[in-house]
Amino acid sequence: MQCEKKSPSFIVSLLFTFIVVFFAHSAVCATPDPTEQFRPFLEKVTKTLADPGLKAIPKKDQSQRVIDVVREHFDFREMSKRVIGQQWRSLSEKEQAEFEALFTQLLQYAYVGKIDEYSGQQVQFTQQRIKGERAEVQTLLVDKGKSIPISYILLLRGNQWMAYDVVVEGVSLIRNYMEQFTEILRKDGYPGLVKQVEGKIAELEKNIKKT
Amino acid sequence: MRKNFKLISFKSVLFLLATILCWSSLSQGADFLSDESYEDQAASMKVADPIEPLNRAVFTFNDKVYIWVLDPVATGYSKVLPADIRGCISNFFYNLGEPVRSVNCLLQGRIRDSGLALGRFVINSICGVFGLADPASNEFKIGPIYANLGETLSVWGVGDGFYLVVPLIGSSTLRDFTGTVVDGMVMSTYSPWNDDALTVATAQGTNTVNRTSLRLGEYEELKSMSFDPYVAFRNGYFQIRNKQRDHSKNNK
Repeated sequence: MQCEKKSPSFIVSLLFTFIVVFFAHSAVCATPDPTEQFRPFLEKVTKTLADPGLKAIPKKDQSQRVIDVVREHFDFREMSKRVIGQQWRSLSEKEQAEFEALFTQLLQYAYVGKIDEYSGQQVQFTQQRIKGERAEVQTLLVDKGKSIPISYILLLRGNQWMAYDVVVEGVSLIRNYMEQFTEILRKDGYPGLVKQVEGKIAELEKNIKKT
Repeated sequence: MRKNFKLISFKSVLFLLATILCWSSLSQGADFLSDESYEDQAASMKVADPIEPLNRAVFTFNDKVYIWVLDPVATGYSKVLPADIRGCISNFFYNLGEPVRSVNCLLQGRIRDSGLALGRFVINSICGVFGLADPASNEFKIGPIYANLGETLSVWGVGDGFYLVVPLIGSSTLRDFTGTVVDGMVMSTYSPWNDDALTVATAQGTNTVNRTSLRLGEYEELKSMSFDPYVAFRNGYFQIRNKQRDHSKNNK
């Protein structure tokens, strides 16, 4: 008798467990897969680079077109914040926006040479790891005679994985700039840094025009 | 009683070794996914640079050598030999270093890695025609194993000393450069060209030119992106070193 009484509750609890497991599972599934997002994204970037029409326009417009695509999965604000470090919080909103624009432009011009170098190199996805809202997608850029490991360090914004660092052969772009910027910030403060970044942009821009 | 004592001492040695190994693995490994590792501004500055003025002078010297000698020679060389052949030559030189890597792994207590490095040497020397190809990575899925005497010494508790820019060689530290010299001496005992100094120098030069030819333009590009190339390359050196010495699972 008792046994019969228990069985419905047993079924209910089983059902409950099932529902919980089901929802927990779907909650996990709600975190998008970083590689699934970066595969089409990097395909789009390489397609843009391989487009013969790209080489026909001036260098400056080329870099603009590429960065507009890159922007889809790159968080330049987060990059700027990290590259400045602790001082970021003491900057006004206007200064933060100003620096973000400057740093984006710096990267845009610094990598303009890569556009010419691109000749159909393929991207291989090697592995990924997720830690909460952070993820790392490891790739290999396969070139003739060598392959270059490139990692993208990502942050989950809504349901989009956004890159805030690129690690090429073990060297993080952000950490590298950070050490240089720390030195400049310590010596000349934020205005000094802005002046130096502006100077660098002008220098790179001159090189673009020259070639 | 004596047997017991032996056992205890063996155990304590093992424990000590384990502690050292754990400590060394804890002390490295900058995890990109943790914010602390970014906030730790001094990450690459843990090694002091007391002779910075001298280092900067050597850096400038190396820069000039690169621009005026190495780059033009490597550019000419790259026009003569196609990239895949240069890749093979680079494999060949890398393969010669495998026995040294294997021994260093052993000295660091990385028994498995030691076997893998030796395995790579055997596979690539035989199936890869004297190491010109890398079937160990491509067919057997045994990727390159990093190890050198500098790392071994660091596992044993020897400190870096200080940052050092070596003429013609580049970024290093006192400890690591010592390791490089000793590793090189060991390698020269079994390398195919130990007859005379000229042959050794030619082999070294070929290796350097070949390596540079696969990375033409990268140096100039990194330099043009940097605000202070000396700091940028010092930082890059320590970051690469950290990565090569991180043997955790998420760094494969």
